[in-house]
Amino acid sequence: MDRRTFLSLPVASFLVPTAQAMFTAQPEAQSVPLAAQIDFTSNVPAPGTFPAKWICGSPSAKHNLDPAVQVHWYNEHTAFLRQNKAYSYEAPFMHLYFGNERILMIDQGYTQLRSDWPLRDVVDNCIAEWCRRNGRRPVDMPLLLAFTHLHDDHYAGINQFADRPNTRFMGQTHEEMLGFWGMTNYPEERVTLDLGGRDILIWGNPGHVMSEFAYYDTYTQILFTGDMFYRGRCYISFWETWFASMKRLIAFIDTHPVTHVVGCHVEMSRTGEDYPYGIMYQPDEAPWQLTVDELRHAYEFAKTITRPGIYYTGAVFLCNETRGATTIDKNSYAYD
Amino acid sequence: MEQATPPACAAPPPVHPKSFPNGDPDAPLNPPGAKNTDSCLPLMRTGQVMHNYACNGPAPGDIAFRWIHGSVCAATNTDPDIQIVTYNEDTYILRQNVCVHWQAPFTYLLFGNRGALLIDAGATPEPEYYPLGKTVDALIRRWCAARNVPDIPLTVVLTSGEYKAQNQGLGQFAGRANTTLAPTSLAGMKSFYSLASSWPQGTGRIDLGGRIVDIIPTPGAHKDGLSFYDRYNCFLFTGDLFFPGRIQIANDRDYAASLARLVKWNRTHAIKWVMGGHIDMMFVPGRAYPRFATYKPLERLLQIDPSLIADALTQASGLIGKPGVAIRADYTLLNRVSPDEDAYYVSPDLPYINVSYWLP
Repeated sequence: MDRRTFLSLPVASFLVPTAQAMFTAQPEAQSVPLAAQIDFTSNVPAPGTFPAKWICGSPSAKHNLDPAVQVHWYNEHTAFLRQNKAYSYEAPFMHLYFGNERILMIDQGYTQLRSDWPLRDVVDNCIAEWCRRNGRRPVDMPLLLAFTHLHDDHYAGINQFADRPNTRFMGQTHEEMLGFWGMTNYPEERVTLDLGGRDILIWGNPGHVMSEFAYYDTYTQILFTGDMFYRGRCYISFWETWFASMKRLIAFIDTHPVTHVVGCHVEMSRTGEDYPYGIMYQPDEAPWQLTVDELRHAYEFAKTITRPGIYYTGAVFLCNETRGATTIDKNSYAYD
Repeated sequence: MEQATPPACAAPPPVHPKSFPNGDPDAPLNPPGAKNTDSCLPLMRTGQVMHNYACNGPAPGDIAFRWIHGSVCAATNTDPDIQIVTYNEDTYILRQNVCVHWQAPFTYLLFGNRGALLIDAGATPEPEYYPLGKTVDALIRRWCAARNVPDIPLTVVLTSGEYKAQNQGLGQFAGRANTTLAPTSLAGMKSFYSLASSWPQGTGRIDLGGRIVDIIPTPGAHKDGLSFYDRYNCFLFTGDLFFPGRIQIANDRDYAASLARLVKWNRTHAIKWVMGGHIDMMFVPGRAYPRFATYKPLERLLQIDPSLIADALTQASGLIGKPGVAIRADYTLLNRVSPDEDAYYVSPDLPYINVSYWLP
């Protein structure tokens, strides 16, 4: 199969039972002995922990000695990664979900060069560590590289994986991304990605940008809302679209159990203070995860918003159709 | 045929333990017997070497280096914490590393026959990140060795006592011998410079021993703003009042009045360059790096032509009483708006040149 044909195949074709027949002849499908199968469906939600506090920069970024990528294993089969604030002010979070047959990585951080920021090495180490624990070989585990949306703080590190064997890349156009998940009715359609006993639900989540996805892991029951809803300034570029996505999220949490809601960044302190856009040190950073109630409250709050502006819901800032780098702070030296 | 025996190898020359292609940094200046120095210092010094700071026009000097401008990942930066540029033998320009603090403030060290003056004190208090005290000590030691004096009194002054991007290193001079620190409160500053009765119209002066530095009150960006005029280099040090960057006006009437005073000052005092406290602008007209940027490869030069003060006065006068932004080729004025207002906006009267603000 040439590369072009390979890339054009929707990943869902690996998963849809009717399409599975064409892949059963491939030897790697049988490489995992059945005895080693991990059960991702009973005793859900799988318990897990978040760090008491994420690493959040230092007074002098140059003198920062923290790891370039903070790796936190939420549980044995789920790792959350965060770019060091002193490497990039965006400090985006990245997700690694492990299944019996493949691995999903969502987002690839905000630095291009492996020599500047060795994301690829960190991810390879995580995969090696998981494989060692679970009796797999890394070469047998295909890695799927996906994005929440096409902003450079979420895909800049993608080229570090260009030469990685057994790795598939979602593509950097909206059409390629829809094709990757096999979606035909964006954003309403919800598709299921099977990582091998572990289902990830994916659907459209536009509003911050028109092309964004929400991810829900059935094993940990964590809902990942990308840049559309996170603890910080949710830059809402398209209010109607964003509100429709909110409705879709509420409908989802009405019908599915959700343990935590997580986004791509944290831009606030525990006391609700806004950390301005671009700052590299957030000493009193708020926790990353949001509760379902905070999402519901933000939805109720959003119902009352009729005009552009910045609104604080008590958990997040809703920046309704404001400029990209809007911050709340003023010139503190102003006097009359 | 008999073979000629090869000659015995001569013993290799002794290897000097140290090799410094650009000169041994530990060697004393002008060691006795040195003849090939290009320094203007006399070889046989018996007492203090005195300079005559009176000269027609600005003293010779240049900034022959680019400013160190950070790196894509601040945490991987390996540049010095403070970059020192020797403008001339009695004038040093110090810049804080962009990756230590994004404001990357400039600090100026001036020497006269009887005193040294440090203008501003940087944005980071911790000496392990920003060793301002140690660096100034080393420069003074070196200068004193060259001028053959045991020590020289140091005065540390601030272009604004309240400004957190310029007063943080002050604590590193607390308790230093032979040192005077200017007070940071407005009332204290007024009495320190003998301006209590004449603020802000009057001027003060500091005599460094043949080298006069004038003090001009310039509130506007800060209510306790000061500018310093160096008669030797014809430099006007304006701190946060006027620099090639996004200038936040704290009080528009005071700001315009201060610029008007500087324009008037320029009529009687030649200004070679206006030297501000920071650089935000790119060398692309009207474009500035946004706040907190730690990689500024397209950074504009520090020095500003004095003709731009009058230009800024025109712009600032137009902003009095109304919130707004004036984007000019070499600076941007922001009056009563968010510090990020129009950060990525290009003024329509300037050429549109598409540049990236940062590379991830």
